[in-house]
Order: sequence, then structure tokens, then C-alpha cells
Amino acid sequence: MTAQLTLAHYMTVAGLLFLIGIFGALTRRNIIGILMSIELMFNAANINLAAFDRFLHPGGVTGQALALFVMTVAAAEIVVGLALLLAIYRGTDTVYAEDFNLLKG
Amino acid sequence: MIDQIVFYSLALVTLGSALAVVLHRNTVHSSLFLGLCLAGVAGLYASLGADFLFGAQIMVYVSGIAVLVMFVVMLLGRASDLHLRQVNERWMAAVLVCGVASVGLLRVARLHSATVATGATRPGTHEIGRLFLGEWLVPFELISLVLLAALLGAVFFTRTENAQ
Repeated sequence: MTAQLTLAHYMTVAGLLFLIGIFGALTRRNIIGILMSIELMFNAANINLAAFDRFLHPGGVTGQALALFVMTVAAAEIVVGLALLLAIYRGTDTVYAEDFNLLKG
Repeated sequence: MIDQIVFYSLALVTLGSALAVVLHRNTVHSSLFLGLCLAGVAGLYASLGADFLFGAQIMVYVSGIAVLVMFVVMLLGRASDLHLRQVNERWMAAVLVCGVASVGLLRVARLHSATVATGATRPGTHEIGRLFLGEWLVPFELISLVLLAALLGAVFFTRTENAQ
């Protein structure tokens, strides 16, 4: 009765993770929450890359290598994002996105 | 059979904790669930036979990024934040965006509902090393420059004399 695992299973999980990430990035008020949601989206893309390697190119590693690049860029992104957040917090004393209106005329 | 059990339990852990990351009011709990979600993704890599990616995910994400996020949450958190609403008033629009995107994503996923894995998984670390130090040498060196720039940027932005 149990069907075999297909590429669609992994793509569905990755797609759902990506949608959860989009929802979080659009609705969280806290900047840290938005950064965490962006990490979820990066991970969804990485699951897809690893799954394409396994199902479409058996024995290949190109997708895994690409996923490692994505991981590196994500690490750099979160480090700079959190550093910016610390700098903004010192000036405005808030972590909520709707309060960052210094450039508003 | 065992494959299905592993996959579905990992998917449940990953998606459940991802939902908790997005919906939890308490940001500290949110960041703890982020660590669990990233560990679930690492398990999915292991189930795909991506051994080096599994190790890198544990080392970079679970023990690096999740801890860093937790650190900043505790640095910036205040007790009054625990009672505040963490979701803005435009969540209906966000649900609509997700609904529209899900149609496309699931339609693409359904195209591959007959693609099954062939052959056994084998370790890929050796091939990844060959790829990085051979064909992809230039991107590999460039990504280290990106990391260096991120390091310098983080130090620059968090210097205290920059705060005024």
C-alpha cells in the first residue's frame, strides 16, 4: 500500500517550508523574526537542490555543491543582518519593523 | 517502508517547528524552534544521502546561525515584548500571497510524482572536494571573499563609536 518516495514528496516539503518562510517574512513585526523566516526560505531551496541531485542525477554532486554556496551566502546574510539590527537598535531602541521610519519626511 | 517513516517524521518535525518559528509570540521560543527546524532539514539531507551537506548543516546552521540568532534575541529582548503581538495586521494579504504561490509550487511538484530514486546513495564528500578545487575553483575563492566582507561588515556596523 505504501507508495515509493518520489521527488514530488521532497519538493512538496520544500515548497511548504518556503511558503511558511514567505508568510513569516511578510507578517512578523520583529526584524529577528523576519531574518529567521528568510533562513527558512534558504533551507527550502537547499532541500530542493539536494533532492534534484538524488533523483535526477544519481551519483552527481553539483546540486550539493550549489547548496553549500547557498549556505555560505545565507550565513553571511544573517551575520550582516544581525549586525545592522544591533546598530539600528542602538539608535532607535526598537526591533519592530514599523518603527524604522527615520527616512520618512 | 522504513524510508517512508523516516521521511514523514522528519517532514513533520521540520514543518511543525517552522510553523512555530513563524507563529510563536515569544521570540526566544521562536529561535529555539528555528534550531529544531534546521536540524530537521539536516535529517532530510541525510535521508537524501547528502552526507557532507548534513554535516555542514549541523555545523553551520544548527550550531552557528541558530545560536547566533538566539544570542541576539537575548541581547535585544525585553520582558515587555512577551505580551506584544508579533504578527502585523496584514496577515490576510500574506495568506493570499501564500495561497497563490502554493498553487504554482504544488503544480510543479506534481510533474515529478513518478520520479523515483535509482541506485544506492554513496558518499559525496570526495567528489565535492574535487569539484571545489578543480572546476569551481574561482567561485570557491570568491565565496571566501564574500565571507571576509561579511566579517568586516559585521565588525564595522557593531563598533560602538559608530552608534551615534
